[in-house]
Order: sequence, then C-alpha cells, then structure tokens
Amino acid sequence: MSDNVKVQVRDLNKSFGSLQVLKDVSFDIGRGEFVCLVGPTGCGKTTFLRLLTKLIEPTSGQILIDGEPADPAKHNLAFVFQEPSAFPWLTVEQNLRYGLEIKKRDKDFIDKQVDSVAKILGLDKCLKAYPHELSVSMEQRVVIGRSFAMNPDLLLMDEPYGQMDIKMRYYLEDQVIQLWKATGSTVLFITHNLEEAVYLAQRILIMTNKPTTIKKIMDVDLPYPRNIADPRFIEIRKEVTDLIKWW
Amino acid sequence: MNQTKEILKTIGFTMLSIGLFLVLWTFLAVRNPDFLPSPLICIEKLGQMMGRPISRVSLGGHILSSLRRVLLAVFFATLIGLPLGLAMGWSRKVNAFVAPIFEFLRPIPPIAWIPLVILWFGVGEVSKVFLVTLGAYVPILMNTVTGVKMVPPVLLNVGRIYKASNVQILREIVLPAALPAIFAGVKTAVSSGWMIVLAAEMMASRSGVGFLINRGMEAYDVAMIIVGMCIIGVVGYLISIVLTFLERRLCPWKTNLE
Ligand SMILES: Nc1ncnc2c1ncn2[C@@H]1O[C@H](COP(=O)(O)OP(=O)(O)OP(=O)(O)O)[C@@H](O)[C@H]1O
Ligand SMILES: [Mg+2]
Repeated sequence: MSDNVKVQVRDLNKSFGSLQVLKDVSFDIGRGEFVCLVGPTGCGKTTFLRLLTKLIEPTSGQILIDGEPADPAKHNLAFVFQEPSAFPWLTVEQNLRYGLEIKKRDKDFIDKQVDSVAKILGLDKCLKAYPHELSVSMEQRVVIGRSFAMNPDLLLMDEPYGQMDIKMRYYLEDQVIQLWKATGSTVLFITHNLEEAVYLAQRILIMTNKPTTIKKIMDVDLPYPRNIADPRFIEIRKEVTDLIKWW
Repeated sequence: MNQTKEILKTIGFTMLSIGLFLVLWTFLAVRNPDFLPSPLICIEKLGQMMGRPISRVSLGGHILSSLRRVLLAVFFATLIGLPLGLAMGWSRKVNAFVAPIFEFLRPIPPIAWIPLVILWFGVGEVSKVFLVTLGAYVPILMNTVTGVKMVPPVLLNVGRIYKASNVQILREIVLPAALPAIFAGVKTAVSSGWMIVLAAEMMASRSGVGFLINRGMEAYDVAMIIVGMCIIGVVGYLISIVLTFLERRLCPWKTNLE
C-alpha cells in the first residue's frame, strides 16, 4: 500500500436493519489532503465518519487509516461532531484542554496550544465561562478549538460551521486552511454549503441518495487563498451544483 | 426602582400568606382549645421547651439527634445507591441482574420493615439508621440509573475519539453528566429520610423530634405535639435551602431555571 494514502475505503457497506445507507463505497484520501464531502440530507455522511472512527462497525468492507483500522491510541484524530459536544460541566478552557490532557501531553505544550487556539477562535475573553453561558456559535467554536488544539493528523469535521453567521464562517474557513497548512494534517470536511466546499477542498466527494455511492469526485485545482469571485471558482461551483440538482 | 417594588410585593404576599394562616389557626383554636392550642400557646410552649431539657436532652439536642440519623443514613444510602446505580445504568447485564430484586423491594415502604428491623437490630440507633437508609437509597439509585442512561451519546463519543479509557469515561464524562440527576436524588433522599426518621423515632426512642411528638402524645400535651410538627416543617425547609445552595456549588454549570 502506498505511503501517500491516509484513508482507504474498500467496498464499504453499512445497513441499519433493513435500511441500506452505504453501498459499495470505495475511494482513497491522500495524506495531507483536504477533502470535502457533500451529499443530500440523510445520505450517510455522518455514518461514514462514525465508521471511519470505529464508533460503529461496517456491515461489510473495510475502512483503514494508515493501512489499519482506526485506533485512537495510535492515530491522532479529532472529530467536530454535528451536534453540540462541548462538555457542559467544564469551562471553556477545560474543554479546550480535554483532548490533550487525555493524551497526557505535557503542561507547557497544552498551555501553549490552548492559548493560541483561544486567540484564533476569539475565546480568550471567556475562558472561565461554562458552555451554557455562550451563544450556539461560540459553543461550537469551543468544540472546534478542542480539535484544533490537538494538531490532529486526521481532522474530521461534520458541518462545523452550520450555525455560524457568514462573517464568522468566512473567517473560520480561512482558519481551518491555515491549520491544515501549518500542521500538514488530513482534513475531511462535511458541508451542505457548496461554495464552502469549493472554497476549501482539493477534492470534493459528491454522494448520491440512499443507498449511497460516490457519484463523482471533483478536483478543485485552484490555488489558496481562493477568490469566490474568480470565474474559474464560479465555474466549478456551478458544475458541483449541477451534479447535485439530480438529488 | 421597579425591582424594589417587585421585591416588596413578593414580601407582602409572603407576609399575607403567613398572616392568614395564623388567623385561621387562631380562629379554629379558640373554638376547640382542647384539640388545637392557639399559635400563642404553642410559642409559649416552644419557649418552655427551649428553656429546659426534655428527658435530659435539650431541644437542639433532639433536632441534632434526628438530623444525625438522617445524614448518616443518606451517607450509607449514597455509598450503596451511587455505585450500584452507575453500574446498572452503564451495563445492561448488571441492570438485568439487579433490577428484578430492586423492583420487588422498592414498593415495600420502610415502615413495613419495622418489625423485622426490631427483631434483627433491636430498637437502638442501628435499626433507626437502617430504616432511614432503606428509604433513602431508592431515589439515589433510581436517579443515578436515569442520569447515566441520559448521558448524551455524543459526549461519550468525544471520550472515545480521544481514547479515554473506560474508567476515564465513567469518571470524567458519565459521572459529571449524571451529577445533577444524582444530586436531585440525594435531595429527595434527605427529605424522605426526614419523614422516615420520625416514624422510626416514634416507635421507640429517647431522643429526636419523633420522640418529642411521642412524649407530647403520652402527656396529652397537644401544644408539644404541634411544636414538634412545626420543628419538622422548619428544619425540612432549612435542609432544602442548604441543599439547593450546595447544588449550585457542586454543579455550577447547571442552568438555573428561575
Ligand atoms: N444508529 C442508527 N440506527 C438506525 N438508522 C440510522 C442510525 N444512524 C443513522 N441512521 C440512518 O442512516 C441514514 C444516514 O444518516 P446520517 O446521519 O449518516 O446522514 P447524514 O448524511 O449525516 O445526514 P445530515 O445531512 O442530515 O447530517 C439516515 O436515514 C438515518 O436515519
Ligand atoms: Mg450528518
């Protein structure tokens, strides 16, 4: 197997009872690649990430990280879940530290990471607050910060910016690109927003309705930072939109 | 300005409620003085009881003695209910093993245990604390089980993604997530413990608020009975204030509903 493959998916099938969600899905994600996953509501995007991280088991087929089944002890994963997942009983700062403390990183490193992540995400003024005291958007930024602080090899984000206003969204899109560039991590990013997908991804995986397969993999060969007004950008966005009209 | 007015209004209504209660009480009391002494007579009685020991124990001593039994029992009840509840909520197997016995024991009120408890432990402290424990562990266990089952799955997944061990997940995610529910269980345990301890004390005891009421009954001293009852009400109220305060300290993340 090639060293350049980070995630390898082979003939993946997943059914819940009689409901077949994923059907014979196969593809590779390269090491250090930024991939966006788009698809209709309920097609199995979240299910795919849960399979990838071994939170659930596939019905058949394989899904490997670095050539082996996901193992959080070996792979430095971070997952921004679709639903709110900040720990309500921890302060913002304690939430940001959580993943690093579980992995027993040394205190200086944790301090440094948390400090920088809090600044990037605009959380440095409310480190002592509890999540319920924050807005939905801020609470989500806590979860994003918890993931960013890990400097993960594999960063999984499930519609992370869905709750954000447009300004914050643009800002955080640039931030995730910066993190990706700085750490060389592999990023798998789910979104409903096609413009966001074209803005972020090197490749876009377009999924079909259930039973879900990969409809098309689009290469986005534009340099970063991208300009949403660039004719080529608009052309690619239109191409993706057309593919999706068939949903 | 507006706020002071609101507060004054609230206080006004509280005073009105207490005032009406006392008036009604007095009104009933003057018609049947033998069955219901008036508030004034009860206050006089309270003064008397505070002044000299009853059966060689001061009034405060009696209250403390009941409180000690309740707190001791709640302590044991937590010792049993919390770990068992965590295990039952966490593991289907443990739940399947324990639940049938628990569901069978639960409807038997602690009072029904009195004869057996006397037979086993006599009428001393042990049997009283045991009886209260029997009633107090139930809400703690039930709330712990529910609390654990209601932990949002996504929070468990966060732990798994970061490779928290099972012990870490239990200690750092399940326990804090369930803590508000557990604490609510402890609160219920204390107030139902406060009821059971009186029953236990009325069966046989030389101290405690239940003993005071019993003593009043034996001496046909209705005022003493009523003072005993009022003490139960006031102390129960104070306990609930203290517990609410403790809860805020212990679960600062909990959104206050007020
Ligand atoms: N544990 C489960 N048991 C039964 N059915 C499930 C389970 N998890 C997901 N499903 C079903 O599988 C399908 C895919 O769900 P999934 O959450 O992966 O979709 P999604 O693509 O993430 O959707 P969305 O865009 O709404 O986030 C849905 O029809 C859902 O109802
Ligand atoms: Mg989803």
